[in-house]
Amino acid sequence: METIIEVRDLTKIFMARRVKITAVDHVSFEIYKGEIFGMIGPNGAGKSTIFAMLTTLVRPTGGSIKVAGLDVNRNAEKIREIIGVVPQQHSLYPDLTARENLELMGNLYDVPKKIMEERIKYYLGLVNLKTHADRLTGGFSGGMKQRLSVISAVIHDPEIIFWDEPTTGLDPQTRQAIWKLALKFNKEGKTLIFTTHYMDEADKLCNRVAIMNAGKLMALDNPDSLKKASNSTSLEEVFIHLTGEEIRD
Amino acid sequence: MKMNLKTELRKSWIIMIKEFRQIIRKKAFMIPMFMFPIIMIIFFGYGMGGTVKNADILIVNDDTGTASGSIIREIGSFIPRYGDPRMFSVTYTKDLSQNEAERKIDAGLYKAVLIIPSDYSERVAKNESVTLTLLTDSSDTTSSGLIINFMRQLFSGTTGSHVLLKIPDIYGKLQYIDFLTPAVIALTVFFGTIQTMGYAIAGERQDGTLVRIMMTPVSRGAIILGKTLHQLVLQLARAVVLILAAIVLFGVTMNGSWLLVALVLIIFTFGAVGLGMAISAVSEDMLSFQAISMLVAFPSMFATGVFYPLSSAPDWMRWIAYIVPLTYANDAMRTIMIKGQGLGSIAHDLIILIFFGIFYFALGVYLFRREA
Repeated sequence: METIIEVRDLTKIFMARRVKITAVDHVSFEIYKGEIFGMIGPNGAGKSTIFAMLTTLVRPTGGSIKVAGLDVNRNAEKIREIIGVVPQQHSLYPDLTARENLELMGNLYDVPKKIMEERIKYYLGLVNLKTHADRLTGGFSGGMKQRLSVISAVIHDPEIIFWDEPTTGLDPQTRQAIWKLALKFNKEGKTLIFTTHYMDEADKLCNRVAIMNAGKLMALDNPDSLKKASNSTSLEEVFIHLTGEEIRD
Repeated sequence: MKMNLKTELRKSWIIMIKEFRQIIRKKAFMIPMFMFPIIMIIFFGYGMGGTVKNADILIVNDDTGTASGSIIREIGSFIPRYGDPRMFSVTYTKDLSQNEAERKIDAGLYKAVLIIPSDYSERVAKNESVTLTLLTDSSDTTSSGLIINFMRQLFSGTTGSHVLLKIPDIYGKLQYIDFLTPAVIALTVFFGTIQTMGYAIAGERQDGTLVRIMMTPVSRGAIILGKTLHQLVLQLARAVVLILAAIVLFGVTMNGSWLLVALVLIIFTFGAVGLGMAISAVSEDMLSFQAISMLVAFPSMFATGVFYPLSSAPDWMRWIAYIVPLTYANDAMRTIMIKGQGLGSIAHDLIILIFFGIFYFALGVYLFRREA
């Protein structure tokens, strides 16, 4: 399988009030082209920090990340051209309409006008927002915002989509719709990288799942193999088995 | 009903305690909140004292006799209020025409010029009426008014003879609004830029849209430039609207070049963008931003001679004014709009504003990049 993301010995150390905090501790893994890759872990496991480093927002303290063969430290802007990021916070401009939000993102990614117009029409239809295209997003519900946020991240047709907790706080219908979208993008050949707290989501969607704990990679395999290796019937059991029952801050 | 009221009060109490807990933990908000009233009292109390201190006056004494000596001594030694410094800092000269005197006022060298004619002593001795010419920098309407009042009182008390004061209007008939408008425009631009930069950075960071933009292939420089250009256009448009409104509604004088006004405001806005960016970068959220920006903006408003002339402010307040860019923007705006002066007369203000602009912008970019 072709590797699209290569993480080697990745480390991130933060200083918080003169105390060193190792958020990510010498982590290595690969993500293959066209797979759906999940990152799960309790709070403070380091998955959000890895997510931020993979999406070029935070620079690693040590180790290396290559996205489509490009080094994140040296080619951050080029990497941003080929990735799409759906942040946990919807991050839409409330004073712009749905269409204007999409146009803004399209323009920042230099999508040609005609193609952008076609994509906006197509994607708004895909996520059932066509009739709300010219409404200000400030008045949208959480589900509508999430759907719009997803399509604004793919308006430039990225090879890789990063998705930070895509269904947190959504109703079952919207969750189903988001999963369908994810599978559709994956079917089109895009690589998807998720972080999630929902084990059923990881089990259902992901080809492979990385389980993180206290900045370290505890396990990485497909959900069935993970379950088999720890004699568990669900991914949640595997998760508890590997990360413990202690509640994290 | 009684129980309900008790429950309601108890819950209100709980909410109130919660509100206090939240606000006490926001130190960046708490400190300025208690500092503002103190700052306002200090600045207004000292700044609007209603006196002029150490105002530079040039006395052109062409009098061949000695009668003018007592008048000059009185001008030089007058103390408006016990404990204050002298009202005037006097320089003497001879043989200076009214035109030359006006040029000295234009250049900002003197707040007033008093021209005593050669026959002053002779006419006073003969109990004849004599006319003195008093030129004042009426672009500073407050100081000018106080100086004129002082001179009128001084000469009304002159023994015997009838001393007349001729007071030509160098810049036309000016009112307080003429003095106020140029500085209010600069102040509005300053406040407006800092506030909108706050929403554009601290606000967007809070709602996550700034991070979203940073995940796109747009450089930090392009983000900063885009926001800066937006401010420059917005603030210039606001300034034009304000000037036109002041002209139409209050008949404010616009004696100078619109292009020079634009130049001053562009340079000034550039610095204010940097300052707004720096404050945004170090603010946790919008509430903290507003508190910190007010702490910066309020002293600028009261210490820089927007509402009253700096000449009436105590020395310590003037020292604050010297390190605040709004002082130089005010001066440049008044020099252009009231005095109708050109680039040469505002060059020193522009140089200082450019220096401040570069400093604040570099600081803002550095902090924004670091926080980003």
